[in-house]
Amino acid sequence: MSQRINLRVWLKIPDAEAATVKNTLSRRMGLKDVLSDVKKERLFSIEVDSGDPQEMAKAFAKELVNENKESHKVSINDLTFEEEYIALKVALHIEDGEAISIRERLRSRLGFKNVVDVKKATIWKLYLNGMDVQERAKEIAEGLLINPHKDSYEILGK
Amino acid sequence: MKIAVMQFPGTNCEHETLVAVKAVGMDGEIFRWNRSAGELSSFDGYFIPGGFSYQDRVRAGAIASKEPVIQALREEAAAGKPIIGICNGFQILVESGLLPGTGKIDMALAQNVMTSGGRIVRRGYYCDWINLRHEVPSKRCSASFLIERGALLKLPIAHGEGNLVTATPGLIQKLNEEKQVVFRYCDSNGRVLNEFPVNVNGSTEGIAGICNPEGNVLGMMPHPERSFFAWQLPGYDPKKQRPDEPGPGRRVFESVKRHIEVNA
Repeated sequence: MSQRINLRVWLKIPDAEAATVKNTLSRRMGLKDVLSDVKKERLFSIEVDSGDPQEMAKAFAKELVNENKESHKVSINDLTFEEEYIALKVALHIEDGEAISIRERLRSRLGFKNVVDVKKATIWKLYLNGMDVQERAKEIAEGLLINPHKDSYEILGK
Repeated sequence: MKIAVMQFPGTNCEHETLVAVKAVGMDGEIFRWNRSAGELSSFDGYFIPGGFSYQDRVRAGAIASKEPVIQALREEAAAGKPIIGICNGFQILVESGLLPGTGKIDMALAQNVMTSGGRIVRRGYYCDWINLRHEVPSKRCSASFLIERGALLKLPIAHGEGNLVTATPGLIQKLNEEKQVVFRYCDSNGRVLNEFPVNVNGSTEGIAGICNPEGNVLGMMPHPERSFFAWQLPGYDPKKQRPDEPGPGRRVFESVKRHIEVNA
């Protein structure tokens, strides 16, 4: 039975892209009063058809995470988030060349023949105050974080 | 006749664009993104040059498209002034809804996907000299005002995200019918082929440049400012040519000048 290893990766150093998103949402899109912070993670969802998923996750992290500047967290199959923010998952709905390259690298160059599929996404952690945070998150996604002609999004937490 | 060459953090073609603007006899200056947007109305036309505005954070052109200067350019576009987006400038115009001109995001310039013989042969950033075919009659569009239909131009490209895709049903057909597809990638004989290296980035129908319905706003992925002078071209021979002889990109800048003169 196949299992999905979720590898969430974030920078230990300040994330300039998240800072730019926060700045743009606050200064250019009128969300200063409702948005207290924005953080970003990269999500790799790696489907394997055999092996101990925890051990596989350690091996994948060695390849995909630079411990000098990044931290990571592993979950198997389920993807859960903390309560204090809205987790917005953004992924390509057109072909994701980077995800395909990672799958091929894991399978062909690094010998992980049990890798069936790799999906890649960005998790935007939106620290929103007030009412209607889901609606705000939708507005942020559609107003800045996605281009609907290539990206799709999903609200995962809160 | 005064041109504003827009500069965002990460823009990297503003100086050569300004050289090209001045070389065809227009006045111009580099306009930083954090200047008062109201000052833009004193200009007669605008170039948004290539580069990596805001380091392509979120996606190419997305952050710059939210800046007040872009809102001001929207008003200048409505007034009929020419706005030319080159490479990252094209991406900014798409993200701002100024192209194809409905006011909303109608397309994306996605990551390059090069295909040949039915399979993907490479992806991502690519730079090369390519051939472009001009698809519309002269005078249809500001930046190709003096270029005849079917003319071929050899220009360089350098981008990772120029693959025009859309989920809007019927949009490509509408762009074709309304003569908004201004440039397509082609081979040296002018044939449009949906194969790499002719279609250099996988763009739908080999589209390399489009304009808005009115024709004053144009976006294109290739760089006319990098083929403005003969010395910039790969075949330049200093023994046979003067360095300041015109290259094919000059026609884009001459077109903008003529468009402004005619519409003044």
